[in-house]
Amino acid sequence: MYRGRHVGYLEGLRYKGQENMLAWVLHRITGLGILILVGTHVIAAFFLNAIGDNISTTITTIYESKPMQVFVYFCVLYHALNGLRLIVEDLWPPLLRYHRELLWFQWLVFLPVFGLPAALMIVSLWSGGA
Amino acid sequence: MRSRYPNRGSGLEYYLWIFTRLSGILMLFMAAFGIVYANLAGGRTLLDMAAQYRWGFFPTYWHVQNSDIPDVFPNWSNSFWQIYAVLLFFVAAVHGFNGLRVVVEDYVHRPYLLLFAKWLVFVLFLFTLFAAAVIVFELFV
Repeated sequence: MYRGRHVGYLEGLRYKGQENMLAWVLHRITGLGILILVGTHVIAAFFLNAIGDNISTTITTIYESKPMQVFVYFCVLYHALNGLRLIVEDLWPPLLRYHRELLWFQWLVFLPVFGLPAALMIVSLWSGGA
Repeated sequence: MRSRYPNRGSGLEYYLWIFTRLSGILMLFMAAFGIVYANLAGGRTLLDMAAQYRWGFFPTYWHVQNSDIPDVFPNWSNSFWQIYAVLLFFVAAVHGFNGLRVVVEDYVHRPYLLLFAKWLVFVLFLFTLFAAAVIVFELFV
């Protein structure tokens, strides 16, 4: 409801929501990312099999490229971990006492689980892999 | 964090709020089951990491066909996995398009534009379900 508060975009960027707002923004961006990527992938696969047009082929080629796979992996892993933390906090509210610890623990899990496969994918891209 | 808490005035809104949580857990378990099955069915040596993730997302045989599996038909392509894939996709689509509706309601304020946007989301939802079912059951003519 940014319009109700009459806050401009630049002022919004300076908002001191810190790690909570980062989690909210990333949850929203990664959720929309999954929806757009998987949605276009399924619809492109449908039209590719039904008609075999050029647009579907292009979308499929983009979707199968390594940088896009890294981005999809980022979206899915962050959305899954953050969603799991949200579910745990929503369904067992006493755990909200440890909200900040849970957020840090979530980053502690996310960084290696995302970083190692992503690094391997990027290295294989540099060494001439598809 | 307005959108995190349900509007208790409307029953449907509350049930969708609960559904988002439960379907989130369900999708994690369904993906985990798919990946565990894939490894027990020989994928431990035959599938690379990316193929395992693709299979966890959407367990259809063309997601593992380009791996080292010699014949996908006994373990990877049968009606169990077809129904499983469609169920997983249906749960994910309701979860995802309901999330899109929440985002649309957060940023669209003009009543007629909001109505149009919500119908557009609903039509996209139905078309994506149709497309996924046609793909999984290979109903192309």
